[in-house]
Amino acid sequence: MSERDFSARSSNVSLLHLTKRFRSLDGSGEVTAVNDINLEIRAGELVTILGPSGCGKTTTLRMIAGFEYPTSGSIFIGGRDVAMIPPNKRGLSMVFQSYALFPHLTIYENVAYGLRVQKLPAAEIKERTQRALELMQLTSMAKRFPSQVSGGQQQRIALARAIVIEPSVLLFDEPLSNLDAKLREYMRDELRKLQKRLGITSLYVTHDQSEAMAISDRVVIMKDGWIQQVGTPREIYAFPQSKFVADFMGKANFIKVQVLGIEGEAARIEIEGMRFTVPRAGKAAPRAGSALLVVRPEALRLLPLSSAQGSAALKGRIDRFTYFGNIARYEVSTENAPLLIETYNPEASFVFEEGAEVGIIIDFESARLLPAEEQEQIS
Amino acid sequence: MRENTRLSVAHLVRDPVLLFLVILVFTGLFLFILLPLYKIFSYSITTNEGKLSFQAAWDILRSRTYLQPLKNSMLLGLTTGILATIIGYVFAYALTRVDMPLKGFFKTIATIPIISPPFILSLSMIFLFGRNGLITNKLLGMEDSNVYGMHSLVVVQTISFFPIAYLTLTGTLAKLNPAVEDAALNLGASRGRIFRTVTLPLSVPGILSSFLLVFIQSMEDFSNPAVISGNFSTLAVEAYRTITGMYDMRGGSLMALMLLAPTLIAYVLQKYWLSGKSFVTVTGKPTTSRRQSRDPKLMWPLFAFCMLVSLTIILFYGTVLVGAFVKIWGINFSFTWAHFKYVMTLGWTPLRNSVVLALASTPIAGLLGMIIAFLVVRKEFPGKRAMEFISMLTFAVPGTVVGIGYILAFNGKPFMWTGSAFLLIMAFTFRNMPVGIESGTSTLIQIDRSIEEASTILGATGAVTFRRISLPMLKQAFFSGLVYSFVRAMTAVSAVIFLISPRWNLATISIFSLFESSKYSDAAAYIVVMIVIIIVVIGGLNLLVGRLGNSGTVSSGGSGERA
Amino acid sequence: MRKIFLSMMVLFCLLPLFSVGAQGTPEYKFLTVYTALPESELPTYFSEFEKDTGIKIQYVRLSAGELLARIRAEKGNPQASVWFGGSYDNFVPAAKDGLLEAYQSPELANIPKVYQDAMGYANPFYVGAIGFACNTDWFKKRGLSYPTSWDDLLKPEFKSQISMAHPSTSGTSYTILATIVQMRGEEGAWKYFTALNQNIRQYTKSGTTPPMDVGLGEAAIGITFSHDGLKPAFEGYPVAMSFPKDGTGYEIGCMALIKNGPAKEMANGKLFIDWMLSKRGQNLFETSKSFRIPVNTQATPPKGAISVDSLKVINYDPVWAGNNRTRLVEQFNKVVAAANNLK
Repeated sequence: MSERDFSARSSNVSLLHLTKRFRSLDGSGEVTAVNDINLEIRAGELVTILGPSGCGKTTTLRMIAGFEYPTSGSIFIGGRDVAMIPPNKRGLSMVFQSYALFPHLTIYENVAYGLRVQKLPAAEIKERTQRALELMQLTSMAKRFPSQVSGGQQQRIALARAIVIEPSVLLFDEPLSNLDAKLREYMRDELRKLQKRLGITSLYVTHDQSEAMAISDRVVIMKDGWIQQVGTPREIYAFPQSKFVADFMGKANFIKVQVLGIEGEAARIEIEGMRFTVPRAGKAAPRAGSALLVVRPEALRLLPLSSAQGSAALKGRIDRFTYFGNIARYEVSTENAPLLIETYNPEASFVFEEGAEVGIIIDFESARLLPAEEQEQIS
Repeated sequence: MRENTRLSVAHLVRDPVLLFLVILVFTGLFLFILLPLYKIFSYSITTNEGKLSFQAAWDILRSRTYLQPLKNSMLLGLTTGILATIIGYVFAYALTRVDMPLKGFFKTIATIPIISPPFILSLSMIFLFGRNGLITNKLLGMEDSNVYGMHSLVVVQTISFFPIAYLTLTGTLAKLNPAVEDAALNLGASRGRIFRTVTLPLSVPGILSSFLLVFIQSMEDFSNPAVISGNFSTLAVEAYRTITGMYDMRGGSLMALMLLAPTLIAYVLQKYWLSGKSFVTVTGKPTTSRRQSRDPKLMWPLFAFCMLVSLTIILFYGTVLVGAFVKIWGINFSFTWAHFKYVMTLGWTPLRNSVVLALASTPIAGLLGMIIAFLVVRKEFPGKRAMEFISMLTFAVPGTVVGIGYILAFNGKPFMWTGSAFLLIMAFTFRNMPVGIESGTSTLIQIDRSIEEASTILGATGAVTFRRISLPMLKQAFFSGLVYSFVRAMTAVSAVIFLISPRWNLATISIFSLFESSKYSDAAAYIVVMIVIIIVVIGGLNLLVGRLGNSGTVSSGGSGERA
Repeated sequence: MRKIFLSMMVLFCLLPLFSVGAQGTPEYKFLTVYTALPESELPTYFSEFEKDTGIKIQYVRLSAGELLARIRAEKGNPQASVWFGGSYDNFVPAAKDGLLEAYQSPELANIPKVYQDAMGYANPFYVGAIGFACNTDWFKKRGLSYPTSWDDLLKPEFKSQISMAHPSTSGTSYTILATIVQMRGEEGAWKYFTALNQNIRQYTKSGTTPPMDVGLGEAAIGITFSHDGLKPAFEGYPVAMSFPKDGTGYEIGCMALIKNGPAKEMANGKLFIDWMLSKRGQNLFETSKSFRIPVNTQATPPKGAISVDSLKVINYDPVWAGNNRTRLVEQFNKVVAAANNLK
């Protein structure tokens, strides 16, 4: 068995100024679902579009699939403008949120379907279908109907059906959202492994940020039809370029600061009258004046107020304390902003009870700066 | 708005098969629905000299003779519609959800009255409950029972039309995702509560389309009221008599066209009610097959109900069957084959014609019905609403007027089709496909469109997707559409009065004529033979449709347990 | 499946091609007839005609009212050449609307003037008198005798036992109405129908229904034409006809050429009309067991049929009846409605 045979045709995908407007529900006006999107997905890469519901991610996916026609802009798949190419001629595959298995066909026939409609020779259909079934460990249940197997198996049928036709691009529309948490994690890893082995260009849509982190080469954050930021999971997490991204991708604290000056990547700032240096402030850092310091909960450390004198940036009071064993989570109120603080391996240092007065130490190495009054949309 | 029209036009251009289908369907609808209706309407408001005149229309409106019949028709339609839908629903529910004995028997019995050739149930009614009736007179000794009037009409029509409701609702209930009901059951809800809060609300599209179909059929029914309505006059019959008894074709046509109003209102209300609601229960995330209830507290009452209805049906049809084998129905009950000999010799040609034409129109009506349902539910194109609307029109107009409209439209250049088999086939097709459209539509809105998209993205063209994915999933609806068009084609009376020709005489017209000559037993024998033919054809259709692919979610095939 | 699908689509597209009708040969031996006579009688006339002339008759059988509507709708391109059967008052509006070809058979010379069409379109070929179809069982059981006058129908023992078609929907029944009006004057007629209403079981839609009601025991008496009234009797139902001694109306059964019918059939159509009116055709009422009374004075009436002479027939004027139709029917509706309110 050789999975490499399924990977022959991976193509890159380019979206240029892609825009989609719908008539609004009451029929009176228009709603812009996707707004002037530009995106390049390289061959063999897995890109995830991540965003809250209604952000336009599914519409983007459906435009690439050909189920929706763009209002304006273009889509290129493998360098070919697909505007005039119907969905069935685009050489794509898609794994649907509901799996969309054919209820009246056996598992074998579900998987063979795409090959049959291409009218391939019978021998080839048989050979490829069986290979896909083996790959997905479905061989033993090939003759059953989709309603007779478990959820995880149904998911694998959908995947087998999608890859057997050797698509140039594989589209995923929240494929794991119907599974329970444990199975979801398992399938997520399987899916990523498979995608890497086969090297199929993939576009994955989800609203689950940990799923996006786990499987993506790059992540696209969308909101209200606009792309907010594109980057590797690490870039997105470590260098969020807007408050929305910082907040949506993981958890973030926003501390109000004054920027005193920028020197190269570093910024000198003042918090509550104390001066600090942020070594890598990020591209979005304002050159002067009010700013927000983005600090992840794990980059904040608590000290007893007594031992914090001089080193602590902020003083606060524990409002809420949750103990997870591996993590202790604190909600702390300060004069500047409410903060969420997570301490890993809490037993190795101090553990504070609710009501305790604490000093808060910021790890400025991983902190970034954002403009204080952020505009809602970047046009 | 304009943006979207432009987009949907672009959509059409990009999908040549869709474009072809849309053009084909619209051409058909225009030729065989709009043109005849337009012709009859313009005829009604034109004088013999070809001048525009609203005199006939004004006469009719002023005379108000239409008012009482119109009220009667609506009352009848509502009563029958509600009763038939309730009975149909109980049957469909019992047969899809409850594990009870004699299911096969009930299934067969419930479909038999679809095959109600004209007059025959009314005739049974008279023979059973009339002044000389077997039950009223011979059994109960009543001298003066009154069998004529609305009460009999309601009984006869409910028996005749509840199978449409049953078939439509079976499709709906079978497609209803059992997981939804199971989920409710797991949440601790009682069966009764599930029924009220889950099953019933989700089957609303089926209920509404059943009601609509029965309502329309009841309103435009000609043959039953013609025989048994007594002094309770309905608009369809009144229109017919105005044309044939008063020689007033203009007035009669206008009266018949009036029937469109309540029908269209019911139709629009139904669409309005359904719009914006989601009834998707087949998502393509497959669900395990349904466990049927064995609760005796549910089963026995349902069983008793089904039995009662079935026995009534058997009583009515049994009367016909007996009638076909006795010397003189109602007078001399000695056994004879003579009536069947008559059917097989003198009556054979019209019967053969009926079968040939009905067989020809059935696949066209069935497929066209599914295609229209598919286009309307799944595709975006300009004129979509119009297509849906127009396709229901001829169903609602009394046959008499459709027939006259067809002659007016197709008896001259450029369409010289009168007297041809083609025209009869088209009349059957376009008049009978709405049942398919309705059941197709209500099934399709239950099926997640991503199943079809999955097929598309795997490389299938629209036609392939339709044939290999949609149609098999629409099996039940397709089947009802086929059965219904066949039966309606076989049993049509009022529409074909004006379309038959010496070459293409039809069985129903012969039955009518036998009936008028008091040759009841010959008519009964005719009907028995007709029923046998129809049952054979339905069996054949069942086999054919069954080969469309085995559906994993259709409840009837015990498809195994949870894996 | 795919093949079935494709072939169905092909079939759909090709269907119009099959619609071309049979085309004629120089010596055309076919005739298309629209007839309102019952199916059972037709083989007698048509096969005898074919034997005599070699012309094969193709026909459509519908009720007279349906035929009129159909001929009217087909006006632009009539499909048949002869309208065979149906009462004269159906032919009056047809002639007025220009649907008929003027043709008077030479055989009309042997037919009394009183039955003939002054307008010159219809060719009368039988007469049927209005009478009372009685359920023999019902009368036997009660020891009553059949009604023999119009006033007999008003007897209290017939309460709710008489079936009659409604004049607004039935030509037969309108003939009854017109007969009574002509016998008793309008005032007298309305008085009569008011009284009769007490005994009416139901006003049926169709003129053929009352004798059926009688056959099935739904009514004891049906007011109808003799040939319709005897049909159930012929099938074995306990029905006998009686006739009012104080005079009765009648229907004149007619035939006519349809204007602009298939040209190649025109000669055959005339031939058929002549043949049907000849002694040969008229004597066939015996064979067909139709109980129609031939109008040709040289023909022998069928056994068991009532001859027109043996009845006291009033001088029924179809033209007057046709012209006063709407008014009389409206008045009838009012009278019956008022009578029902009294009930």
